[in-house]
Amino acid sequence: MGALLLVKIGWRNLWRSPGGTLLTALALGLGLTFVLISLGLLDGSHEQMVRNRVRFGTGHVVIQAEGYQRTGSPELLLPAEVVSATETFLATDPMKRVSRGVSPRLLASGLLTSAANADGVRIMGVIPKDERAVSLIPQRIVEGSYLNDDQQSGVVIGAALARKLAVKVGGKVVLMIQAVQPPGKDATDAGRGEMKSALLRVSGIFRTGVQAIDAHIVQLPLSEAQSLLGAPDRITQVAVLLEWEGDSLKVAQGLRKQLAGVPAEIFSWREAMPSLAQIFLLEEAFNIVMNAVVLAMVGLGILNTILMRVLQRRFEFGLCLALGLRPRQLAVMVIGEALALTVISLALGLVLGLGVERYLATTGLDLRWFFQSSLPAALVFEPILYSSLSLTRIVSSVGIVFLTAIAISFYPALKAARTDLPGALKVF
Amino acid sequence: MELKDVRKTYRKGPIEVPALRAINLRIAPGEFLAIAGASGSGKTTLLNIIGGLERADDGEVLVDGRDLQLLSSGELARVRLQRLGFIFQAYNLLPVLTALENAEFILLLQGVPVEQRKERVRKLFSEIGLAGLENRRPGELSGGQQQRVAVARAMVTNPALILADEPTAHLDSVTATALLDVMEQLNRAHGATFVYATHDPQVMERARRLIHLHDGQIESDVVQTGHVL
Repeated sequence: MGALLLVKIGWRNLWRSPGGTLLTALALGLGLTFVLISLGLLDGSHEQMVRNRVRFGTGHVVIQAEGYQRTGSPELLLPAEVVSATETFLATDPMKRVSRGVSPRLLASGLLTSAANADGVRIMGVIPKDERAVSLIPQRIVEGSYLNDDQQSGVVIGAALARKLAVKVGGKVVLMIQAVQPPGKDATDAGRGEMKSALLRVSGIFRTGVQAIDAHIVQLPLSEAQSLLGAPDRITQVAVLLEWEGDSLKVAQGLRKQLAGVPAEIFSWREAMPSLAQIFLLEEAFNIVMNAVVLAMVGLGILNTILMRVLQRRFEFGLCLALGLRPRQLAVMVIGEALALTVISLALGLVLGLGVERYLATTGLDLRWFFQSSLPAALVFEPILYSSLSLTRIVSSVGIVFLTAIAISFYPALKAARTDLPGALKVF
Repeated sequence: MELKDVRKTYRKGPIEVPALRAINLRIAPGEFLAIAGASGSGKTTLLNIIGGLERADDGEVLVDGRDLQLLSSGELARVRLQRLGFIFQAYNLLPVLTALENAEFILLLQGVPVEQRKERVRKLFSEIGLAGLENRRPGELSGGQQQRVAVARAMVTNPALILADEPTAHLDSVTATALLDVMEQLNRAHGATFVYATHDPQVMERARRLIHLHDGQIESDVVQTGHVL
């Protein structure tokens, strides 16, 4: 009863000093703005980083022979049919829209020798057309060109490796590799463990900015790699690239069902690259701490404003109690006032926060000024950060700020409800 | 309304200040009663206890046969809301509400429908010369007008008793006289019971019954000549 009047009184009380109210609302709104911007940039940078890292690595989802993640043994291989089974699954209706590419790979270690030098390398046998759809390496060619599907004896190598071997595009290198025993073959098979070599011509040099890739990765056509390794129709992994990182778990689960009869392990990028996932968790934790500090400031701002207003209106509260208002109703009035202030603050914060977020999502935050001359030619991350804020993030941020403000207003409300009745009416 | 052997002592550390000593008082419906006395004589304490704003240390405070001393704070709030009206010295009104909203404040808390509220307030406003000022905020009204709005708020629920603590203390003599005219008119026209505290001799003269307090005791209780009871 009279709740509307109490809210009306609370609302009008806010505008007794409009300057103070607006200033407080602006301060609190800026708190929400900060939270939205920091979350947007954090999520955006994560998305960019994931996009880059998964495209230099295993994709959003990777299918490997069981035990490969733990041992890295080149002998743990999958039959080529896994690729078609994967493609069939990703062509089904719910998955059609989420997939961007599938690339089968054969991985091994070997020795790459040039006329000048030799070095241990990580070999990736790939189907050039499929690898282009999944990996960033084809896009980071700085000299020559990437592999093409007709070329059998080409190889692309990293810039650091090219420098060490002193080879250029068109130069010849010899790749030495120890053949493996793929599952199903007899242990006494001729050729197992035998050293094989192939003369390859460098068709392109890439630079990713990641030393481990630029100094050690070489890519050559899958059929050539299979022949060298003595594993025809065998692959080490299938990398799947998705439109959106958030679908990784769903796709991994679907593939586990699809490939239930195959001795394969299927991981989302978080499982395949646990160190990256942990970095994100750490950043998320740091962000939570930062936002908690901002929330604490927002909360103290509301507490200070409402408490000051309550203390200044002791006589009014005494008057209301004398007239028959119950302490509980007084508390509702104060909470109503805090609620109104919070709503104004949130509205300001949303307008400012989403406005800036929109700008950062489209134009981006350019960090090139920060790197200046130290900016390498190719980066593992983008120098321009783009914000990416989901509706869930917005709703949860607004909800947390709202609940914090309301929870904090209970103290001044309690203070008002406990107004000492005869004492509050003594003003002279 | 009856007070039986009511006592009140204020304590501040080891110091005890007796405010009321064995007050016995009966107030009949329709009275226009002034409680007079010097500052510190116990006028405000007596009004607070009659109005259920403060509890006595001892004795009985009976309103409609119910002892206010035995009621919970929630029940006391209900009695104040339903049966009593209050007028204070100054700052009587909620500054963010208009004159009309201030006057209907208690009716709204009582759950009276909007049409009835407006009608009762407008009628009373017109009776006490506030017509046309309904939408003004307290800051836009003179001191006398503000006190009349407070009188309207106290009167509009037809309470059993209206308590006024030095209602003219901050008014000039002309405005004070006008306010007392309004209170007296409402007392005669509606039979409203007024009990007000004052230390102004001119205001005392207007009462039909005058009680003098001295050091927390009733020094005299007289029906004033020239008034018709």
